[in-house]
Amino acid sequence: MLSRKRASFLTRSIAFAAVVGLANVAHAEETEQALDYTAMTPEALAEHLLFETNSFRLDQPVQEGGVARQRLEQDEIQRACSNIDGAAPDLETLIKVREMAEKSIVYPDKIELGDWERGREYAWSGFGFRIGHNNDDHTTREAGGNCYNCHQIGADRQGGNLGPALFNYGKNRGNSPEMLRLAYGIIYNAHAFFPCTDMPRIGYKEVLNQQQIADVLAYLFDPESPVNQE
Amino acid sequence: MKRVLHALPLAAGAIALCLGTLAHSGELQSPTAVLQDLLEKTNSLYLGQSEQNLMMMDDNPSLWTVEDGEELFHTARGPNNISLEECDFGKGPGVLKGAYIELPRYFADTKKVMDLETRLVHCMTTLQGFSSDDPEVKQRHGSDSDMMKLQTYIAAQSNGMPWDPQLDHPMAKAMLDAGEALFFRRAGTLDFSCNTCHGDTDKRIRASVLPNVNSPEEWSKAISWPAFRVGHQHTRSSQHRLRGCYWQMRQPGVIAGSEASIALLAYWTDRARGAPAILPDMKR
Repeated sequence: MLSRKRASFLTRSIAFAAVVGLANVAHAEETEQALDYTAMTPEALAEHLLFETNSFRLDQPVQEGGVARQRLEQDEIQRACSNIDGAAPDLETLIKVREMAEKSIVYPDKIELGDWERGREYAWSGFGFRIGHNNDDHTTREAGGNCYNCHQIGADRQGGNLGPALFNYGKNRGNSPEMLRLAYGIIYNAHAFFPCTDMPRIGYKEVLNQQQIADVLAYLFDPESPVNQE
Repeated sequence: MKRVLHALPLAAGAIALCLGTLAHSGELQSPTAVLQDLLEKTNSLYLGQSEQNLMMMDDNPSLWTVEDGEELFHTARGPNNISLEECDFGKGPGVLKGAYIELPRYFADTKKVMDLETRLVHCMTTLQGFSSDDPEVKQRHGSDSDMMKLQTYIAAQSNGMPWDPQLDHPMAKAMLDAGEALFFRRAGTLDFSCNTCHGDTDKRIRASVLPNVNSPEEWSKAISWPAFRVGHQHTRSSQHRLRGCYWQMRQPGVIAGSEASIALLAYWTDRARGAPAILPDMKR
């Protein structure tokens, strides 16, 4: 991991130096001519293509504030979990990812179940945060959690299978405070429990807020919820 | 009648022989037959997920787009009043057969790696003299756009042939390798990379079975664009698919023909290498 990191830092520095050196060249085309793509590492070239070649609509305003560019800038966990072929990083890195994720979780004082019907809405909704040719307008509709795209949750709607099926989630586990805390943590930042998981960090990235997560927890744990009626 | 019956096995034999030779050169197989062959080989859930599409494929509306494109391609157009027959898609001016499955590739005249759409734009602007703001060039999407008509016609001349993007130039290899890094690079609101959805077999988003980049047979259909998207009722391009993926990943809108888009197309085409292209295809 160290050597990979070091290599990646080096290539980034080289790419950066090259770009800075050419900063006074007015036209992007001339910059491309001067920059030798074949001498760059794949990672350095990828970063260059992302940010320096007018390949993306980077200046578009985004729903959370700021501009689209920040969506492409990786944080530490994203970078650590981007190995070629989706391979898991080494154990040392996994432990670091897990620790960072654990520290990131903000738990409410007391975790209580919200409204399972609202929770179902959030679990089912794939609306929100899409940008580019068609921006999701959050003033017309709340963003959802996208849960059912990857999880089969209740039997009342077909879900995906990129994540595990969650039938009878509460029925099988009970409603103890420890269990609610665990589920809250997984929704907030699942890397604290499964480092480099595919699951989005729903709480950490503010896709859903505390109250909305409590509603999703109700959908998963409330005995009245269709999730627990299988 | 008796005479006809006697003659039949002979005629059938001759036809079969004929078919064999032609099928080998990738000429006579319909897109449907190419897909059927892949299905028999793999029994993949992704390849077979829409029985209805399989049934309708012989009447794929994109076949009309191919015909529209053929006419456009050979018509003198633009300020220079010239057809696209002089356009070099990598195998020499006007050579279309097998040109598409070798893209993206490096072009010495532009010193760039180009995909079909970018090369087409290049010829329309340099050869025919269109400006990049002319609707012929600017309108990239929809079965009724010149761009989709031309792309679909050109691509169809590679139906049934194995994907074989050309890597002889170091620039092509550099772009492919950068494309690989992009494919696995997690970012955005939901931390997704292309691999999140395309790294495994039989995975679904809701009911839609996703193609696996590690299966050349599945991946060949996945990248077989232009294709008629039944849900959109339009012929769609590779660039349109890529744009949709970035949108779903909650990452910034990718610009058609941009270098990052071509790097990704270089990588994704390479992953289907050797599997036969289905052109035009039909998708959900």
